Amino acid sequence: MSTRERLRDVEAEAAVRLADVTDLEALDALETEFLGPSSAIAEARRGLREVAEDDRRELGRVINEIATSLGAAIAARRADLGAAAEEARLRAEVLDITLPGRAPARGTSHLVMQVCDEIVDIFVALGYTVASGPEAETAFYNFDALNTPETHPSRLESDTLYVAHGDDPEGVLLRTQTSPVQARYMEQHDPPVYIVVPGRVFRRDTTDATHTPVFHQMEGLTVDHGITFADLKGTLAYFAREFFGADRTVRFQPHFFPFTEPSGEMLVDCFACEGSGCRVCSRTGWIELLGCGVVDPNVFEAVGYDPTEVTGFAFGVGIDRLAMIRYGVPELRYFFDPDLRVLEQYR
Amino acid sequence: MRVSRRWLSEFVDLPELTAAELAGVMTGIGLEVESVDEVDVAFNDRVIVARVLEVDRHPNADKLRVARLDTGSGPHEVVCGAWNFEAGAVVPLALPGTVLAGGLEVGEREIRGVSSPGMICSEAELGIGEEAGGILVLADDHAPLGTPFGGTLPYPDVIYDLAITPNRPDAMSVFGVARDLAAFFDLPLRTPEVELRVAGPDTGATVTVRDPDLCPRFTAREIRDVRPAPSPLWMRLRLRDAGVRPISNVVDITNYVMLELGQPLHAFDLDRIPDETLVIRRAEPGERLTTLDSVDRALDPDDLLVAGPTEGLALAGVMGGEDSEVADDTSRILLEVAHFSASGVLLTGKRHGLRTEAVARFERGVDPALPPRASDRAAALMAELAGGTVCGGFVDVYPEPIEPWTVTLPGGEVSRLLGTDIPADEIAAILRRLGFAVEGDDPFVVDVPTFRPDVTRPADLVEEVARLFGYDNIPVRVPHGPGGGLPPEELGRRAVRNAMVGAGYHEMLSYSFLGSRDIEAMRFPSDDRRSSPVAVRNPLNEEEGVLRTSLLPGLLKALRHNQSRNNEDVGLFEIGKVFLASEGPIPDQPDRLAFAAVGALPGPVWEGRRRERDAHDAVGVWETLAAALGISYRILQSVEPAFHTGRAGRIAVGDEVIGVVGEIHPAVAAGFEVIGRVAAGELDLGRLVEPAGRRTFRAPSSFPPVVFDLAFDVDDEVAAADLIGVVQNAGGPALERVVLFDVFVGPPLAEGRKSLAVRLTVRDPERTLSDDDVAPVREAIAAAVWEGLGGRLRGG
Repeated sequence: MSTRERLRDVEAEAAVRLADVTDLEALDALETEFLGPSSAIAEARRGLREVAEDDRRELGRVINEIATSLGAAIAARRADLGAAAEEARLRAEVLDITLPGRAPARGTSHLVMQVCDEIVDIFVALGYTVASGPEAETAFYNFDALNTPETHPSRLESDTLYVAHGDDPEGVLLRTQTSPVQARYMEQHDPPVYIVVPGRVFRRDTTDATHTPVFHQMEGLTVDHGITFADLKGTLAYFAREFFGADRTVRFQPHFFPFTEPSGEMLVDCFACEGSGCRVCSRTGWIELLGCGVVDPNVFEAVGYDPTEVTGFAFGVGIDRLAMIRYGVPELRYFFDPDLRVLEQYR
Repeated sequence: MRVSRRWLSEFVDLPELTAAELAGVMTGIGLEVESVDEVDVAFNDRVIVARVLEVDRHPNADKLRVARLDTGSGPHEVVCGAWNFEAGAVVPLALPGTVLAGGLEVGEREIRGVSSPGMICSEAELGIGEEAGGILVLADDHAPLGTPFGGTLPYPDVIYDLAITPNRPDAMSVFGVARDLAAFFDLPLRTPEVELRVAGPDTGATVTVRDPDLCPRFTAREIRDVRPAPSPLWMRLRLRDAGVRPISNVVDITNYVMLELGQPLHAFDLDRIPDETLVIRRAEPGERLTTLDSVDRALDPDDLLVAGPTEGLALAGVMGGEDSEVADDTSRILLEVAHFSASGVLLTGKRHGLRTEAVARFERGVDPALPPRASDRAAALMAELAGGTVCGGFVDVYPEPIEPWTVTLPGGEVSRLLGTDIPADEIAAILRRLGFAVEGDDPFVVDVPTFRPDVTRPADLVEEVARLFGYDNIPVRVPHGPGGGLPPEELGRRAVRNAMVGAGYHEMLSYSFLGSRDIEAMRFPSDDRRSSPVAVRNPLNEEEGVLRTSLLPGLLKALRHNQSRNNEDVGLFEIGKVFLASEGPIPDQPDRLAFAAVGALPGPVWEGRRRERDAHDAVGVWETLAAALGISYRILQSVEPAFHTGRAGRIAVGDEVIGVVGEIHPAVAAGFEVIGRVAAGELDLGRLVEPAGRRTFRAPSSFPPVVFDLAFDVDDEVAAADLIGVVQNAGGPALERVVLFDVFVGPPLAEGRKSLAVRLTVRDPERTLSDDDVAPVREAIAAAVWEGLGGRLRGG
């Protein structure tokens, strides 16, 4: 039998054996057996030197051809077996992906705080900054500095919570508005003033659907040379559209506050019904959004500003109320309910 | 305040506008319309005016009668259950086919054998009043017989319910609203003339005003021979539409004039005033008065009384007294029309919780010039409608008359405040239409009428101009501030909130007050400022009696609230102020962050290995926060009020303690009825949100690290944080990371010892380290732990 014939036999045998290989280990052994250093092919290659010059080239070509095709067949077989093994492993690892996952814990910030930050950001974009002040406040800053008459009913113990501090029983109270920060800020800063003041305010109210003794307000104050009612209108309309959407229309109507003159209320057409009347707007088509006005000259005088030099406007908006309106929260007291079923909704 | 459009039309010819359009005008000029009621009769024209010709007993029923009526077109017979009329009475007769107010259809019925085609109606049946006890008897000349009754009533009408602001006393009347509307539409305002015939002798009643500060003006007038009876139908309907219950002619007239002109009036039964002497004075200490609502009231020395020689008769400007009330047998009336101090009435009303129509007007400041006119108007009506004889000797005690005053309005002030140029002649015209007298235009010299006490300064006049010019006609402009963005504390607060949310905690809000029992339940030692809260002087209830000195009680209550609602695994936080007593002008009010959690950590229940929270979770929350905020700190084991004595630690930044984390003391948790271990912490927010300073980037080393473990045999008392601190200090700059990975107690360690094992990562930014490089680091650490903590390197 010639070397060539032997090799052809080996090739045939390898093909048969290769077809029977079912795992990678056997394939490795087969590869060593047929292509390794002691294989018939390796031996034949080593024997080439002995072969007559005339046959050598042809035999070398045959050896290479067989080695190459066998190598390719083994590689192909290896790839198949690898894929099958991987498939088997994956099949063994099947799990129910619909089982609840291992979620990292995720809390919520309170809805009122979200709305508060949102309003603050609208004004920050207009060049405003944030100011704050104490919640237990003197009657001076809460009332006197804001042009509130001595006899104003809001000072009565039926409306305002007073705090046992110092000698004057009506000297310190829980602020009824964020407005005292106006006076505190103006005492500390010269004009121009562009501030918003978010914070807690207090009224002597029994908790019910629409009243809580604690709620949140945002005060705004703009004082500069040449500020007018037109600036008030433009700024607050801008706020309303940023908050409720660019399509909203606003309306201003006269109102009364002790610390502004002229005073007004701003209404926005109802975002829920586009002004046709619904539950959100009590069927009026309009939502009363905030109180506002041109700063009363007495307020400037109380803080040492010259009302003939500077003018300004102020506004106050109920943060809780805006949150209720926009998110359909039916009762104010939910905001003080720590039930997870409530808090988890504030995503 | 409910205002009828028909009534307004007596004073001004309003333009043709829909109900909603007129409402828009009113709201636009500052008379805010809260609701619009379009009212009409609720029955059809099958109800006619008829006269009773005869009335006889029903042949088969004791309680019924049979009336024969003249309908203008012939006789008509119906059965009737009412006994309040006799032959000759003019009545509304509902013919078959009438649908009445309640939806009842009147048919042709047979009642106990007598045919009754229709019925005679009561006010209630017609839906025009509450009286259901008898039928409605009309005036003899009400209308020709057979006239459809609905057409004789003042309907349809529109009732506007107005919310008048506290600064507008002038608008608290139909006439006042008409004045504003006339000014807006630039239409003439009709001021009704009163024709008063004085037919009686001068009154003998005397009036002494002892406290003119509370009562600048007091008028009184006697009217004799009044005959109390129901008011005429038109007046009853007007009162009813205005929301005032008709009572009898005398009382109704005082209410009617008040609604019309805005001046409260009060009618005394003169025969019940001892000596016919009135004294207007403050209440004596301990004095009491029973008011019309039958409440016996303890009076305040600043309550003003209209009194007789000794006893109080009425709470001035607020409510009459029971004893001097007009009754069915009253014949002599003393009509009080006074000007009381606005603040006096306001405070008395508030003190006694009385919000009467009189209070609503006086507390705003009624026109001091109004009493004589209102008195004349009421007296004329009493003569006309109640048969009264008006006596002479009108009493008018007005020692210091209030004169109109002048406000000077600089020419440019309107545009300076409103941002729009309104021509001077338009400004003057608006003010004149509102009743101001105007001279000049730069400045405008403006005489303010006494019915506008709210107008005292230029800004007040600018508001008058603005509201009639129309707020919506003022242009818009958006000014920009100097900027600066969010201040650091606001940024910090948001970073804290975000970190807590990321740590799985839910933000809650609680009231700033607590009950003193909540503070006691925290077991703060008596020298702890948190143990003595600042009290609320006038709390609504005991649970809201003191200001919170810590956020933890609120959180513990919230945990309990959740547990009682089957929310077992809860993590909550709150950011807010606490209040601590101080010597300053106001209590100290630092901002705090606190959190508390109970139950298992989040994770799938089906795995069956969820861990209950404990003190280490509280520490973990702090670590999350510190990482988010870039705070370097130390944690020190300590015994802290309200916390578990062995499971709490202080957070120190530099030399300052900024808060406590750990587990709530089980007895404190039990005091709040919270079940299970509570991981909690309370931190000073001000210290957390300080700007962290400039951060600079460092490129990570690209060389491989050397990682090795060291275990130390240390005394049980040695804190892990101390070991880590010593290791970090001794490790030098190449020590990149220290991870405590094992804590072990028991053999082979001696009693009272424990093993703490750390994994160290050492790396050089410039080169690959060899074991030889690391050996000195290892030795230095071992030496430092030995020297600093008495810890022996295990296996070393």
